[in-house]
Amino acid sequence: MKKLRLAGKIITTLIKDQWHYRSRLIADLVLMFVRCGILLVLYSYVFRLKGDVIHGANFVTVAWSIFFYFALSTLRLRDVARLIMQDVQSGAVETIFTKPISYIFYRMMWQIGAGISSFVVAFIAGSVALLFFVGAPETMFVGIFVPSFIITFFAAVVLNLILYVIIGFISFWIEDINPIFWLVDKTIMILGGAFFPVALFPDFLYKMAIWSPFGAAQFITHTVNASWQYQWYMLVGMQIMWICVAGFILFWVSKRAQKRVSINGG
Amino acid sequence: MKPIIQVKNLTKEFTFPVKKASVGWVKNFIKPQKRTVVAVNDVSFSVGAGERIAFIGPNGAGKSTTIKMLTGILHPTHGSIDIMGFDPVQNRKKLAYHIGTVFGQRSQLLPNLPLTDSLEFFGVMYDMPDRDIKERISELVTLFELEDFIDQPVRKLSLGQRMRAEVAASLMHRPRIILLDEPTVGLDVVAKKRLRELLLKINAEQGTTIFLTSHDVGDIELLCDRTIVIHHGMLIKDLPTKDLAHTFVFEKYIDLISQDAFVQFPDLPQGVRYLTKEKEKISIAVDINNISITQALTKILLLFDVQDVDVYDADLETVIRHIYEKA
Repeated sequence: MKKLRLAGKIITTLIKDQWHYRSRLIADLVLMFVRCGILLVLYSYVFRLKGDVIHGANFVTVAWSIFFYFALSTLRLRDVARLIMQDVQSGAVETIFTKPISYIFYRMMWQIGAGISSFVVAFIAGSVALLFFVGAPETMFVGIFVPSFIITFFAAVVLNLILYVIIGFISFWIEDINPIFWLVDKTIMILGGAFFPVALFPDFLYKMAIWSPFGAAQFITHTVNASWQYQWYMLVGMQIMWICVAGFILFWVSKRAQKRVSINGG
Repeated sequence: MKPIIQVKNLTKEFTFPVKKASVGWVKNFIKPQKRTVVAVNDVSFSVGAGERIAFIGPNGAGKSTTIKMLTGILHPTHGSIDIMGFDPVQNRKKLAYHIGTVFGQRSQLLPNLPLTDSLEFFGVMYDMPDRDIKERISELVTLFELEDFIDQPVRKLSLGQRMRAEVAASLMHRPRIILLDEPTVGLDVVAKKRLRELLLKINAEQGTTIFLTSHDVGDIELLCDRTIVIHHGMLIKDLPTKDLAHTFVFEKYIDLISQDAFVQFPDLPQGVRYLTKEKEKISIAVDINNISITQALTKILLLFDVQDVDVYDADLETVIRHIYEKA
């Protein structure tokens, strides 16, 4: 109950805080719509050339898959890694460590609070626009779609946060985590279907997307595939498995990281 | 009386890799040479409830490292800390309910939002009921005179206002101990005075134990009744602040004011030396290990025709400079 209240307070405070960066919020949304829009225009052209179906998927499915990726990216969960690096480099970590809270929980909630306004606006506006211009894929009308989408969305948020927090914690050992961050981030982008929709992945890449934590962090892009209604419990199960594994690694890393805290000023 | 803080043989070592120019980057990466720095070395002390402690020492002495170990941020290499029955390493979160911290060079407030939001935020962090949070904010606003800027975004506050806000925020959960790391750094004299008065007030009215590090003589002299001196990570002295001068500076000073004008400056007795030689005023330092102040004064008054004499101890700034230089 205490954690729930704290999470609510952090998120609402951050929403208020973000209001001071309204222009940044608008810029983020415009950028997301432009990037997503360009990809969709290109894919619609490709699908028209190829007779509307490629690899068993139609444009509507691909469009929603790409949109889900971009919508999730507006939560900016990846920024938690750099935020932790900044905390470590600047020594700001000490102001949080003196509070009766978990640093990891605090930073995760902080990141959700920082991105939730953009996400809600992007998700609603994007969904309406896609419904209007492209329509909805058939899988969305299957009864299990909404509950399974919600579950896989929350699992994706948790898994993303855990993966990026682990990267952030590496800054307790090395000064600059940017190369590692870049590597993991791009892997998640590719396996998540940011550039190339998962439905069109060749077999080996699809297997990588399914069996790696980086792909599992973006399983919401699979929810519109025709196979989702038969596969969803397996994929959600895999997300939960990766959450457990990555969670254990995070626990292990964080215990060691705390012992390595060294802050300037003696 | 059972101490509220008990520190025994506290040691903190930092080990870090050192790049060796003579070997390649692969060896530096795989098997780097390590260097260990002892930041705090076998420090022991205890603090009673309601005491006001100055923890002083030159830059790099180990003051902040000690404070960070007291709060559980840093883990000691050796030794033990007991704060109100809690080990900061094992019980960091539980201990946080009883201590407040202010790091003068780092803000804990939310920069874009009004101060009330930060205070509410901390109230929830410390699991205070909503009604308690409102009451406490109202108390702190009155105590710290925050009403003029309570609704302003924190980033628009002056440094003095922000530091008052920082201290108020650290007291939100009514801690029994407040640890302050250079709280007055960068403040003007008025803001410093105001902050010191507030700290004295919470100490007197609420019995809050104050433990502060500072380079500011005023903080030590006006705020703290006890001073712990640390240098190169080792505790040099732990004594009442008023005894600092007698303990570290074996000099007294005499000012002589001339009847008409001083024209001659004869040699002084052994153990006595000129500090300044002016027509209107001469300042003299007396080494009290060499000659008593009475003997010195008797001899000096035979040499000069004076209108007035002033005998005084070294000011605290001089005392602290002596401590740092000698250590």
